[in-house]
Amino acid sequence: MARPAVILVGADKGGVGKTTVARTLLDYFGAHQTPTRAFDTEAPRGTLKRFHPEITEVVDVTAVPDQMKIFDTLGSAAARVTVIDVRAGLLSPTLQALADIGFLESAKKGQITFAVFHILGPSIASLDEIKEAARFVGDASYFLVKNFINNTSFFDWDPATYNSYFKQIKNAEEIVIPKLNEMACEQVEVASVPYVSFVANKNGKGDAANYSFVLRGYVRHWLGQVWGEYDRVKLIDLVSPSLENNVRQVAG
Amino acid sequence: MSFRTSITIIASPRPRVGKTLLARLVTDFHRHEGRAVAAFDLNGGEGTLAQFLPMQASVAAIDEIRGQMALFDSLVANDDAAKVVDLGHQAFEPFFALAEQIGFAEEAHARGIAPAVLFMLTPDRTSIEAYRNLRRRFPQVTLAPVHNDMFGPTQHRDKYALGKGETVIRLPILAPALRKFVETPPFSFTDDGMGTAGGLPPEVQSELEHWLRRMYLEFRELDLRILLADLQSSIRLGS
Repeated sequence: MARPAVILVGADKGGVGKTTVARTLLDYFGAHQTPTRAFDTEAPRGTLKRFHPEITEVVDVTAVPDQMKIFDTLGSAAARVTVIDVRAGLLSPTLQALADIGFLESAKKGQITFAVFHILGPSIASLDEIKEAARFVGDASYFLVKNFINNTSFFDWDPATYNSYFKQIKNAEEIVIPKLNEMACEQVEVASVPYVSFVANKNGKGDAANYSFVLRGYVRHWLGQVWGEYDRVKLIDLVSPSLENNVRQVAG
Repeated sequence: MSFRTSITIIASPRPRVGKTLLARLVTDFHRHEGRAVAAFDLNGGEGTLAQFLPMQASVAAIDEIRGQMALFDSLVANDDAAKVVDLGHQAFEPFFALAEQIGFAEEAHARGIAPAVLFMLTPDRTSIEAYRNLRRRFPQVTLAPVHNDMFGPTQHRDKYALGKGETVIRLPILAPALRKFVETPPFSFTDDGMGTAGGLPPEVQSELEHWLRRMYLEFRELDLRILLADLQSSIRLGS
């Protein structure tokens, strides 16, 4: 049976682009025909659900009933990948909750593929969050994401200091989300559609829209760069290991 | 797809090689053929094209996003109008860099529009490199070299690695007697009396019509080449 994958997307503060990264992940897995579901923890209304309503549910990841909804169904859900967009400031508490329910132990045993996308803020305080997360992550894949979509500068960081935090986590890799033109960003927000739908000039119902060709071009170029980063860190191999592909081929 | 449903970009990385004159000719050719046409003047705000063709041409700029949207969204709009871009030398690289980034050629083709670049040949290294780069970056775009006879008879085909069968469009020299009328705005090659107050003297009009027929023949042949290339591409895709 295919091993389910869980990807946590979190940050220590709001406004750093957590939901943006979660959206690009959902589009990436969709483009690779990898069945995916998402849980949006910005209860009650959610922020991710607006863009991917068909595959997203709003939950409270610290509440037991919603934990059951997510983690008790990992093995039975049609979706191979579960993306959890964690509310700002709750990455470490969420990891603690996952430790408490034995999820991290299952990941350590190889029963579940587990990855954390930690979206870094521009201030040095973000680096302390890495230290916090390091307590829980263990052997899981850990991606430190620098999000330049809004032209953030991470100028506070002395490279030596950054590297010392980076090295605290075993499988840490850096991912860079490049800048996207502000107007293009804004128009996708207004359209309330996935990035791929905006690029394809489709509205929320899948009908032809009338978005600016220039803005669609900027988004397509930007999304290509983001997906290039995911290709570079072999994200698809992580959630669909080639060993399983070989097994499928042999079994077929 | 053909010249009729087309975007024609008149380009060179060098100034003062005849781009605006050629842009005027292409715009007026479309009008002569009874087509709607919109021309865009990307000559750094000088507004030269718009001075000659105030009803057809507008000044454009791509240094910020609103200008980029105003231009490129208009270029690919399905409005049955031919589009002509007079691409100033300073905007040459920013225009094509942006076109490449946003997938301009692919979008145009997806909408049944044929983009073509009329590239003014000059023997300098900058132009030769620019031509080669365009060929590499935009293989789906018709790249038509143009030789302005005012630079002499040599077309520098070898410098541009043009094949034996590759046609170079000729922009013949305008006689001085014609130039003084043609270079005074507003002037249209299509309007009655060629757009000048009181019309042109008969001998000037006759010479200009002869010159124009040569240019329009070049454009019709370009149209056929674009159609043929499109047909060959369709056959290849279908086989």
